[in-house]
Amino acid sequence: MSQEVLLKVRHMHKAFGPTIALKDVDITISRGEIRGLVGENGSGKSTIMSIASGMQPATSGEMSYKGAEWKPASMVEAQAAGISMILQEANTIPHVTVAQNIFAGREKEFASFGVINMRRMYKAADEVLAKFGLSHIKGNHMIDQYTFEDRKLIELVRCVDDNTEILVVDETTTALSLEGRQILYKLIHKMAEEQNKAVVFVSHDMDEILAHCSVLTVLRDGDIVGELTGAEIHEADAVKRIRYLMVGREIGEKYYREDYDTSHGDEVALELDHVSFGPIREFSLRLHKGEIIGFGGLSGCGMHEIGRIAYGIEKLSGGRVLRKGKEIKSPLQAIESGIGYISKNRDSEALILEGSIQDNIVLPSLTALEKGIVIRPSDEKETSDREIDSFRIKCHSGKQYVNTLSGGNKQKVSFAKWTAKGSEVIIMDCPTRGVDIGVKQAMYSLIEEMKKEGKAILMISEELSELVGMADKLLIMKDFKVTKEFMRSPDLKQTDIIEYMI
Amino acid sequence: MSGISKSGEKSLWLKGHLKDFAAYGGLILCIIIFSVVPPFFGQNIWSAAKLSTLMSDVIVTALMSVGAVFVYALGNMDISIGGQVGVYATLMVLLGNNTGSLAAGIVLSLVITVMIGIINGVAGEKLNIHPIVPSLVFMMILNGIRSIVYNKMGTRNMSLVSVDYSLFKQSWFMLLVLVLEVLVVGFLFNFTRFGKNAKAIGANKTVAEQCGINVVKYKVICYVITGICVVLAALFQMGYTGSASDSTGTGFEMNVMVALILGGMRLSGGMGAKVSCAVVGAFTYSLLDVGLPLIGVPNNMTFLIKAIIFIAVVLITCRQKKAVLPR
Repeated sequence: MSQEVLLKVRHMHKAFGPTIALKDVDITISRGEIRGLVGENGSGKSTIMSIASGMQPATSGEMSYKGAEWKPASMVEAQAAGISMILQEANTIPHVTVAQNIFAGREKEFASFGVINMRRMYKAADEVLAKFGLSHIKGNHMIDQYTFEDRKLIELVRCVDDNTEILVVDETTTALSLEGRQILYKLIHKMAEEQNKAVVFVSHDMDEILAHCSVLTVLRDGDIVGELTGAEIHEADAVKRIRYLMVGREIGEKYYREDYDTSHGDEVALELDHVSFGPIREFSLRLHKGEIIGFGGLSGCGMHEIGRIAYGIEKLSGGRVLRKGKEIKSPLQAIESGIGYISKNRDSEALILEGSIQDNIVLPSLTALEKGIVIRPSDEKETSDREIDSFRIKCHSGKQYVNTLSGGNKQKVSFAKWTAKGSEVIIMDCPTRGVDIGVKQAMYSLIEEMKKEGKAILMISEELSELVGMADKLLIMKDFKVTKEFMRSPDLKQTDIIEYMI
Repeated sequence: MSGISKSGEKSLWLKGHLKDFAAYGGLILCIIIFSVVPPFFGQNIWSAAKLSTLMSDVIVTALMSVGAVFVYALGNMDISIGGQVGVYATLMVLLGNNTGSLAAGIVLSLVITVMIGIINGVAGEKLNIHPIVPSLVFMMILNGIRSIVYNKMGTRNMSLVSVDYSLFKQSWFMLLVLVLEVLVVGFLFNFTRFGKNAKAIGANKTVAEQCGINVVKYKVICYVITGICVVLAALFQMGYTGSASDSTGTGFEMNVMVALILGGMRLSGGMGAKVSCAVVGAFTYSLLDVGLPLIGVPNNMTFLIKAIIFIAVVLITCRQKKAVLPR
C-alpha cells in the first residue's frame, strides 16, 4: 500500500472572535489510512476538517491536496474535488425525495433539454442505495418519512462516490444504531484498505476509534498533542494514554458511580400508568425518589418516546402520567409539578441558540422569578450566574450567546435550566450525547449528586456503558416493549445486555 | 496573546452590535444630513413648524410599530393593522357624532381588537396554518365592512363635528402619548413574561413549549397588545384631521413593516427584537418624508430615495453571517 500524501495542512490557524479554535496546526493525511481525530469538545478536531472540506476558511495557514495548493470555497467544490464530510447534525433537505437529496447539485446529469428525468434519477438512486446495502430506502420516497438514522445514511450515500478520495466522518455514529454503524464501518474499511483512499474519523467513542483507526491524532485546545500509530493503538493502556493526552491531566479512575447501592426512597416520584402512545401499549413504570432508572435500546425502540410521554409532550391514546397523584398532560404541568426534561436534540429542542446563556437558563424559572408581574434583571442574572458557577460553564459572562459555546458547555446549559428551576424529577434523553470525557465525568458526578439529594432520574441513553455505570435499574427496550430488566450489579456486562436489544 | 483576545473581543462586540449601528446610524445620519444641508436651501428642519409636521407624520406609524414589536417578536406579522385603523377611525367618528364623546368609539374599538387578537393568535396555532393567513382574512373583512359603511352613508368621507379633537393636533400631546406608550410597552416587553415569552416563541417554538410556555396564550396576548396600540394609533389618525374616509388606514401595515425593518427588526422574530427598533425606524422613515423636500428633492423622487436607503439598511441588518463554532 502506498503512503502517498493526499492532504497536507501547514500552520493552520482559526479564530472565532475571541475564541481560538486552532493554533498553528500541521497534519498530513495519506492514502490507505483511517485517521482518528480525538479531543474534547472545542479542541478543534472538527474545525480542521471543516476547513479542509470547504465549510469555512482558515484564519491563516495553507493546505495542499494531491500536491497542489488547496483552498476550497465551498463544500460543493471540495466534494467535487474528492473531499467529502458527513456532519454530526442532520444535513438533508426536507420535503423532497431521497433521490433529490442524493443528487442535489448534480441534477444536470439527468437533464435533457432542461427537463430533469425524475424516473432516471430514482432508478440511479435505488442502484446506488443498493450498492451501500440500503435497499430498504427508496429513491422516490419523500425523505421526511425516514428516521434520523436513515437520513444520516442517505447523507453518507450522497457524500461518497467513486470520485471521493478523503471521507470525513464527523461524530456521525452517535446518530446511528448498531446496524447503521456496521454499514459505515464496512464502508470506511473498504475505502481505506481496498480502494487505497483515506478516511478521517472524528468520534467521542473511544472503543470505536480504537477498533477502526490505523492512526490516531489527539488534540487539545486547538493544538495537536500526540499521535498514536499502528501497534500503539492496540496496547492495553492506550485508552488511558489517550484520555491523559486529551484532558492534559489524570482524570482519575472514578468515572461512573462506584457504589452498588440500589436503595431509594419509598415515595413514588413519577408514575406511568398503563400509557399507550402510537406503537407503545399499556406501558407502566414507577420511578421513586432518589432512584435512577436507565432506558437502553436501539434508536428506534421507543425509549425516546417514553421520555417525551413522561414529560407530557405527547397526547396519549390511553393511560395516565402521574406525579404526586396529579395527572401530567402538558410540559407546563410537568414543570409546575417539578419535572425537567433534557431533550436528545439539544440544538433544536433544548436551547435557544440565538439567545444568551442567561436567557436559556432562566427560561423555565421566569414564573418563579416574577414579583407581581415584574421580572428583575438582577434576579435573572443572579440565578444564571449561580448555575454558570456551579456547572463551571466556560464563558465570558451570562450574556454570551449559546451558539458560541462548545457542545459540552451547551449541554451544561440545558442541565442548568432544570437545576435552576429546582426540578425534583429529571428526564434526560441522551444526556452525554456529543460531549467529551472531561464533561461526561462532570455530568456523571452531577447525576450521582442529584440521586443523593433525592432527585428521581429517568436516564435514556444509546450508550450502554453509561447506563450500566449509572442506573439503579436498567430497562432494555426493543420494538416498543421492555424486553429485560436488570438491577445494578458489579457483574452486569454489556455483552449480556445487547442480546435483548437486537 | 492578551492583545489578540482583546481586539478579538472588541471586533466581536462590534459584530454583535452592527445591526444596532446600522439602524441607529441611519437615524443619526438622517439627523445630521437634514440639519446641515437644508440651510443651504434656506430651510431649517428644526423650526417649530417642521418639527410639528414631523411629529404628525411619525405619530401614527410610531404608535402602531411600537405595539407591533410584540407580534413581530413572535416571527409573525399582522396584515390587518391598516384595516383595523380604518374601521376604528370610522367608528370613532360615527359614535363620536352620535354620543358627543369619543369614549364609546374607543371602547368598541378595543373590544373588536381584543376579539381579532384572540382569533389571530388562536387560529394560527390550532388550525395549523401560517399565522399571517388569519390576519389577511381580517384585512379583507375589515376593508369589506368599511366599504359597506361608506356606501350606505353615501359618502367617502365623514367629519367629527360634535367632539372637540384639537388636543390630538398638539405636537406635545403626540410626543407625550408616544413616550408613555414606549415606556409601557418597553416595560412589558423587557421586564415581564409577556415580552420574554414572545421572544422565546419567536426564537424556537419547540424550546418554548418544552420550557412550559403556553404558546397559544402568549400569542393571543401579543396580538392583543399590538391591537390596543393600533386603537391608540387610530385615535390619532382620526384626531389629526377630525375625520375618517374610505381610504383611512390603507397600506398602514406596510408602513409598520418598513419602519420595523428600518429599525433593525428581524422578520423571523426572536431574541433580537427590541422596542427601540420601532421608534428608530418610524422616525428615520418620517425624517426622510419631511427632510427630503427640504434639500431640494422633488416630491416624486422621495420614494426612490427611500427605496435605496431601505435596501442599504436591509443589506447591513439581514445579511449578518454568524460565526459559529462547528460543535
